[in-house]
Amino acid sequence: MDLKNITAAKLRKMLDSREISAAEAASEFLSEIKKNDGKVLSFITVTEDEAMKNAEAAQKRIDAGNAAPLTGIPLALKDNLCTDGIRTTCSSKMLGDFVPPYDATAVEKLKAQDYTLLGKVSMDEFAMGGSTQTSAFAKTKNPYDTECVPGGSSGGSAAAVSAGFCTAALGSDTGGSIRQPSSFCGVTGLKPTYGRVSRYGLVAFASSLDQIGPIARSAEDCGLILNAIAGADPHDATSKDVPFTDFNEKIGKSVSGMKIAIPKEFYGDAVDEEVRASVMNAAHEYEKMGAQLVDCSISTLKYAVQAYYLISSAEAASNLSRYDGIKYGLRGEGHSFDEMIRDSRNRGFGAEVKRRILLGNYALSSGYYDAYYRKALALKQQIIAEYNAVFDKADVILTPTAPSVAYKIGVQDNDPVKMYTADICTVTVNIAGLPAINTTCGYNAAGMPIGMSIVGKRFDEATIIQTADAFERTFTPVRCTL
Amino acid sequence: MDIATLDHICALSKLNFTEDEQKEMLGQMTDIIGLMDTIKDYDITYDDTKDHNEIGYGDLRKDIPAPSFPTEKLQQNTTPRDNCYVVPKMME
Repeated sequence: MDLKNITAAKLRKMLDSREISAAEAASEFLSEIKKNDGKVLSFITVTEDEAMKNAEAAQKRIDAGNAAPLTGIPLALKDNLCTDGIRTTCSSKMLGDFVPPYDATAVEKLKAQDYTLLGKVSMDEFAMGGSTQTSAFAKTKNPYDTECVPGGSSGGSAAAVSAGFCTAALGSDTGGSIRQPSSFCGVTGLKPTYGRVSRYGLVAFASSLDQIGPIARSAEDCGLILNAIAGADPHDATSKDVPFTDFNEKIGKSVSGMKIAIPKEFYGDAVDEEVRASVMNAAHEYEKMGAQLVDCSISTLKYAVQAYYLISSAEAASNLSRYDGIKYGLRGEGHSFDEMIRDSRNRGFGAEVKRRILLGNYALSSGYYDAYYRKALALKQQIIAEYNAVFDKADVILTPTAPSVAYKIGVQDNDPVKMYTADICTVTVNIAGLPAINTTCGYNAAGMPIGMSIVGKRFDEATIIQTADAFERTFTPVRCTL
Repeated sequence: MDIATLDHICALSKLNFTEDEQKEMLGQMTDIIGLMDTIKDYDITYDDTKDHNEIGYGDLRKDIPAPSFPTEKLQQNTTPRDNCYVVPKMME
């Protein structure tokens, strides 16, 4: 049975009707991983035994007639989500042998539904990058063209879903790390509102920006997974107790009368013509469905990348100071305490992580703090104010997810400025703490996917899922073949 | 960025570089700081009275002592000695 392009919603029906067993579904995906992941390199750890045990437990629950929406659904997890007893590397030599003593809350919630864990997937080291080429273990390739990057930092999650190695996956998004790889790999990825999903057990990069979310084959599947992982958590003081019933409650409802804002700065020369045209075509599709396009402006966009990199690197420098080789992580050598810590960090961290730590400590250091870090915080306030003004006159905002389609591997190596500026379309959403979803809106002349982002009001994930789903119903995706 | 500043930041970051690595990193950090410098053009002041008003933070939970993880589980990622973490001598 070919499950490569199946959605979680469809697989749920097949499992419940006994058309397929949970063990058969797990085996099918494991065999696909064995057969084809050598071409894509999306997995760091395949948890075959765990998957079959999970499937057995899931089947018992299905047979007892009390299956939850994700019972027996085979998923993959980004390798920065702590999994009790299963290696969690963050794609870094620093955590190459790290086995967490506990599960992330999001993982615990999936376990409560008896999902099936297929394995841990690759990412940019400590989620710092947009290509998955900074991974120390698996430099993932794009399933649409294995000479191209899958995007990042959740490139392993997006590539695994795109290639048909799992039904869906969890990723994390600090500056676009769910949406951009979803765009590059032609899948749907949702970054929830900051505070919607607990960050407990997500290895910290930039704590005021990080958020866990799903990558799947449809907006509906993203909603199913968000239903499972959302909610306040006593272990994360920034998680928010905002009630929800079902993030898919608006699916299928008309978008007629909806106001969709088009911020002009996102459609400038920095964005490839093919991408611009494809997203605008999608905007006109919404018009045909009865939605109204509203012109607007986010004028701070020209400073957004700078604000994002200053804030995120400052937080990263602080968060990553815990890696000293003593309690866990790669342990270096040295006659003194200081020598040992430096050797651990020199050997454990890759070049991009070191650059971000240096930038963060520079921005926070005496004499530079006001000029850089405080200025970035001021910009954050301005960006939030601008988004609030747009949402006074619109329901959602439509933008390209990335300025280009997936680029060739190696193109951005050793050019950090080029790599950073490529995040222009996604970072403001994290700075403002808003929810956003990427879905595919077209393909370029070479057949590479183009993604668009629908940004919503805080805690209004249901409306962006509804909007993305409405477009997906009109669009025929071209799935990749390996 | 000059070498002295890079050395200072490396000390704060607990990182070392070889001479060649330092040369490459200096060039890259100079480019990155050049990009960051453009925010100086934007005339805006941070208002700390507004901070955290826009993004909601949950109430802090009460600090109630509860059972933690077993010691052996917490020490599974290192080589402990007599239930202690081993570090090089810190004081002579």
